[in-house]
Amino acid sequence: MATESKGCKELFNEVIDAGLCTLCGACTGSCPYLVYYKGRIALLDNCTRMDEAQCYDYCPRTYIDMNAISQKIFGAQYGDSEIGNAEEVLIARSTDTSITEKAQYGGVVTTLLSLALDEGLIEGALLTKTSDDKAPSPFLAQAVDEILQCAGSSYMACPVLERYNQIPKDNGDKLGIVAMPCQVLAVAKMKANPPENRVNIGNVRLVIGLFCTWALSPHNFYQFLKENLDLSKVKRFDIPPPPANRFDVFTASSKTSFPLEKIRKFTMPTCAYCLDMTSEFADISVGSVEGIEGWNTVIIRTKIGAELMEMAKKKGKLQIDKLPSANLAHLKEASLLKKKRALNEIIKRSGDSNNLIYVGLSTKLTEKILE
Amino acid sequence: MANIEIDAPGTSQLFIGNEAIARGALEAGIGFAAAYPGTPSSEILGSLAQIAKKMGIYAEWSINEKVAMEAAAGASYAGVRALAAMKQNGINVVSDFLANLVMSGTGKGGLVLVSCDDPSAISSSNEQDTRPIAKWLDIPLVEPGDFQEAKDMTKWLFDLAEELGTLCMLRSVTRIAHARGNVKLGELPGKQHKAYFDQIHDLKNVMPTKFMPMPSSLRHFFLHMKLDKARDKFELSPFNRYVGPDKPDLLIITCGSCWLYSQDAVKALDLEDKVGILKLGTLWPLPEKFINKHLGKSQKILFVEEIDPFLERSVMEIVANLPSLSPHPTFYGKRSGHINAYGELNPNMVIKAISTVLELTYQPRDVVYGNKAEAVAKSNVPERSMTFCAGCPHRATFWAIRNAIKLDGRDGVVTGDIGCYSMALGPAGFFQVRTMHCMGAGAGVANGLGKLGQFGFDQPVLAVVGDSTFYHATIPALINGIYNQSKFILVILDNSATAMTGFQPHPGTGMTAMGEPTKVISMEALCRSLGARVEVCDPFDLESTTATLLEMMAEGGGAKVAIMRRQCELVRAKKEKLPYKVHVDAEKCIGEACGCDRLCTRIFLCPGLIWDKKTGKSKVDEVICNGCGVCVDVCPQGAIIKEAT
Repeated sequence: MATESKGCKELFNEVIDAGLCTLCGACTGSCPYLVYYKGRIALLDNCTRMDEAQCYDYCPRTYIDMNAISQKIFGAQYGDSEIGNAEEVLIARSTDTSITEKAQYGGVVTTLLSLALDEGLIEGALLTKTSDDKAPSPFLAQAVDEILQCAGSSYMACPVLERYNQIPKDNGDKLGIVAMPCQVLAVAKMKANPPENRVNIGNVRLVIGLFCTWALSPHNFYQFLKENLDLSKVKRFDIPPPPANRFDVFTASSKTSFPLEKIRKFTMPTCAYCLDMTSEFADISVGSVEGIEGWNTVIIRTKIGAELMEMAKKKGKLQIDKLPSANLAHLKEASLLKKKRALNEIIKRSGDSNNLIYVGLSTKLTEKILE
Repeated sequence: MANIEIDAPGTSQLFIGNEAIARGALEAGIGFAAAYPGTPSSEILGSLAQIAKKMGIYAEWSINEKVAMEAAAGASYAGVRALAAMKQNGINVVSDFLANLVMSGTGKGGLVLVSCDDPSAISSSNEQDTRPIAKWLDIPLVEPGDFQEAKDMTKWLFDLAEELGTLCMLRSVTRIAHARGNVKLGELPGKQHKAYFDQIHDLKNVMPTKFMPMPSSLRHFFLHMKLDKARDKFELSPFNRYVGPDKPDLLIITCGSCWLYSQDAVKALDLEDKVGILKLGTLWPLPEKFINKHLGKSQKILFVEEIDPFLERSVMEIVANLPSLSPHPTFYGKRSGHINAYGELNPNMVIKAISTVLELTYQPRDVVYGNKAEAVAKSNVPERSMTFCAGCPHRATFWAIRNAIKLDGRDGVVTGDIGCYSMALGPAGFFQVRTMHCMGAGAGVANGLGKLGQFGFDQPVLAVVGDSTFYHATIPALINGIYNQSKFILVILDNSATAMTGFQPHPGTGMTAMGEPTKVISMEALCRSLGARVEVCDPFDLESTTATLLEMMAEGGGAKVAIMRRQCELVRAKKEKLPYKVHVDAEKCIGEACGCDRLCTRIFLCPGLIWDKKTGKSKVDEVICNGCGVCVDVCPQGAIIKEAT
């Protein structure tokens, strides 16, 4: 794990004040000093912990030893695949229309979570829930209808891990987490180096990662939406795959589109430094499929992920198909492009090709890209 | 408090200086007393208020010092002897009225102003010396050197004030006001005369009575005549005296408590036959002839007085007008650096000054012994910082303020002023307060900050004031902020008491100084009537208080009011049992580990919580804990448990 542990002062210097915070929530929730409020992390008072500061350790924008994490999660060093460790890449969609109506694309995430809950694989799922006026906030769903309430994406960053950190350590409930790549990375850091005085990381039985190119600032973008729309009437948001280049907002009866250029200024600055498009340390990663509407791309990464998919197939919850090879090639290309762009930005920022800020140098892939 | 009304002439009673002053006023036949509380002056009115009903006098805690003095002047105009008391800061509040009062003159009832100064600012924001204001106002000033004098001078001053028809001032300091000594009592007068404002009162008995400063030059001239009369009386005053040899090696000129230090110093040095002490009790106008008589006694003259070189400079003025003293003596004091021009003095400092002037070596005690004694004494003193009491609502308020400011993220500024909450400049209030001056100044300063939007200023501004301070000096600043649309939140810390000075009632408490129930002046009704948005919060509800403050900070518009309402814990604890029994679950407490880092005993700092170094856990000090239960919501681990009692 991290070679040197630092405290919240460094977390602010290196990450938060440096504009690299992803608002994943890994540092908040169980810390009385760090609090998430309206799109930023506030430091309420001075913490003196320097030797075991978990806020610094679990931040997905502090030093990451990709090989060590990969070893822990996949039992192997970080490889050179553009989309991370992938046992199988498929496309799938829910067979339940009540899910697909609400969910993004094929409704795979909602279906898998509901199944995991039904089957007792998990007893709760940490999700992002949007309020009636579409403000996102973390939510612990403990019933299938609660999971369904969280279906759909807001594209705004949400500190889901803050809610996770609030679960008492002695709570034994098995948990599933649906997370962005940065959050999946934070959870992976916790798995590699289990936290003290926080939740028992062993309780996290299922991590479903989402594909992500960038996330929108939950405060500034929300203000923008509020100024332009009656958010109480909004049913769903969508960024259709390229070349659509737009952000769609659906109400019960209408659709409003914003060109992506117009909303790009609301993206989190940190996303430019992110190497991970496909949530590489998840059990299963889920995203859209270019050109195949109503389906999800699914990357099965771990044994747990594979078993859950198998169960969903057997129980007829998901309709599963192969991902066309052209789509797979395109997915890999897009993922690699994100890595290249990010490394470029990181080096531009550090001013030194040997200083990749938070990214460990020693992966085959980064070395390959940098060559 | 002592029985200041005891009718036993000739007997001795143990009084603090302030009680002696109050007794002196009683013996003088005072009918009216008004004051605003302020350490070290508060016990003067406090002791008079206690016996007011019994003694047939009137005593009130006024809204502020200016009103107290004005009310006392009103009584004087109707022929009632009246006293106004205040600490040094109050003199500034009342000074505008004073500058006009001295011109208009007082009424038939003698009018006395008592100012208690606080050298070293032990309980004050500054150590202002109020003696110079007597010079500035052209009024007679006296200062007692002990407790007997405190009583006798006060009584005598009423006679003088009545005879001259001018305000007279008595100045005291902390070590007289709060120290205790024997006072031999005099007679108590009989019944008060009927109070009457004489409408026609002039030499020919035809002109209507007018108390006003005009025509000012003429009245100024008359005022100087009164001062000359006072000087003539002071020349013969027994409150000025010389004790010492006819030709001392050193003459000390001193007054007030410094007289006591000077006597101790001379005695300690065994120099009674070499050093003489000229003790002055009537400080303005100075008895020039009396002083002249002694100036030629010695070639070395040392001024021993606290804070300003009032005597030193005034005597120098006398010297400048004398046919030259031959040989001319050397003067020592603040100008020469022998006496500090700041802070309290003590006998040791005077010993040092005398020893330096007379080139003596004096060792008050063996250095090794001294160091040892100091170390032993310190080992028995628990480490303590200035803090709010256990269960004080202010701690909870400042916790919410700090959280709201940090969450808001615009670097909010808190302005403050005088009260228990001044401690929020330090760790007790999480270092939240940024400015502190005089009563009400926080709101005034906030008025300025709140109008800087056009210069790019976006920091939220919160002005904290106590409830008593709100009534005293904040209302005009609030009106200004509402009228001129200054963007700030006036946070009134309403603990329903003038807590810092001893729980004196104020217009929000519904009780008068004499213990009579009265109409409560509702601060929220008052603020709402001015058109301000007013929110009333319970500071013990940290979450909703923080949310309210955050929301008010985010809102635009002019001045708003947030009232933090919780009774002072010291008042509550006297009347009720503990609301909760609080303890720490040692299993859950993670102490210094990540996820807490000893939040309760390192940051929250309620004295009811203690850090057990041995176990590395927090504990509740059951003796000190007042059971407010706020720490339960502060503990991040849920390790502090409260049970309703």
